[in-house]
Formats: sequence, C-alpha cells, structure tokens
Amino acid sequence: MKEIIGYVEELFKNIPESEQKNAVMQEVTQNLEEKVWDLMEQGKAEEDAINKAIVDFGDIEDLKQELGAKQPVKRNLPKLNLWYSIWSSLLIISLFVFINFYYTPDIIWFVYPTFAVLWWPLTMYFSWKRKK
Amino acid sequence: MIRSDIIRGHLESIILRLVCEEDRYGYEISKEISSRTDNRFQIKEATLYAVFQRLEKKDLIESYFGSVSRGGKRKYYRITTLGKAYLKETVQEWKETKEIIDLFMEGLN
Repeated sequence: MKEIIGYVEELFKNIPESEQKNAVMQEVTQNLEEKVWDLMEQGKAEEDAINKAIVDFGDIEDLKQELGAKQPVKRNLPKLNLWYSIWSSLLIISLFVFINFYYTPDIIWFVYPTFAVLWWPLTMYFSWKRKK
Repeated sequence: MIRSDIIRGHLESIILRLVCEEDRYGYEISKEISSRTDNRFQIKEATLYAVFQRLEKKDLIESYFGSVSRGGKRKYYRITTLGKAYLKETVQEWKETKEIIDLFMEGLN
C-alpha cells in the first residue's frame, strides 16, 4: 500500500539511519497494512481505512527517543575554560615577573598586573562551580 | 476515554501480560487491548512500538519473524524468563499501590 509506506517514511525521516530503525519501520508498515485490511473487511472503503489507521497511529515522539536521536555527549566546557584561564594567567604573570626583575629589580610592581589578571581564572572557577 | 497518563506508567506490564499469555505481534496486541477494555482504552500504535523497544532493550521480551500475512512477515514477541519475573514483581507492586490509593479513593462519591 503506497499511502502507508509513504506515511511511515515521512514519520521516520528525521531519525538517524540504523538497522533498528529499519526494523521498526518494517514492523510498523506491516502492522498498519494489516490494520487497513482488517478495517476494510469490516466494511470500510480503502481510503477511509487508511485514514483511520494513520490517525490512530498517534504521536511518534516517544518512539523517536527510544530509537535514539542520541544526545551528543556534552564536553565539559566550563572545566576546560578554567584550565585555559589558569595556564594563560600563569604565563602572563611569569612574563610580568620576568620583566620586573630583569629590568627594574629595585621596584616590585608585578603584583599589580598579577592582581588584575587573577580575576580571569577566578571568574572561570566560579562559573565552573556553578555548572557542577 | 480514560486519561491515558495514569495508564501510561503501566503499559509495560499490560503488554508483558499479553505477551505472557501467548506470543503476539503488534497489531494483535493493540486490538486485544481495545477489545478487552471494550474500547475504553486504546493504545496508540506509536506508543506501542516505543514500549516494545524499551522492553526488548531490557531483555524482557524477544522478537522473531513469524508467518507471512498480507503485506509481509509479522514480527512476533515472546516473553523471556526475565520478563516473567519482572511481570510477577509488577503485579505485586500494583496490588500494593492499589491498596494505598484505594485507602483515599474509596467511600466517596
């Protein structure tokens, strides 16, 4: 029955290809066709029977979830951001320390930029904490 | 028709019960549910297949291809040993649940 096959294909078109999907599609098609035959035997016209079978079928959301439009594994971005900020601030701070002691060993000023830079990993630390 | 969200949580047991009696295929199960409930509850086919998938994933039922009918091979389901044990447990659970709910639902009009 072309209408049924078309309907089932339309229904499953957003589900990722898999053997399981094909098996279910086949099963659904077979069962729907049997239902249509059954309804026709009860005296319905073919078109009515097909329409009833399709209306009765219902919402496929549940099945979609079962067939796994699999959620992509979420990477732990906040943690990555935190590590990035820590390493980068360490680099920046050591650069300041180096310039400080190499060129002006008498005045210790690297503390000021260090203080400013430290806000970055601090922010990342808390945003990581909040996500946890 | 009855509110289906209450029944929803028990669909697995309903289907296990039907498959436990004899091996059945999808359309047969939906027909059986309608006829046993005098059409007071009709399962949506889409839901039915979702439940099959869940039950099969949990090894409570298994499927095989049976006789060819009009349109193609029917896919039959049979209950596994694990499924039988599970069904027995849900029956017990349901008895207790019913008793508890009855405590509050009975005696009022």
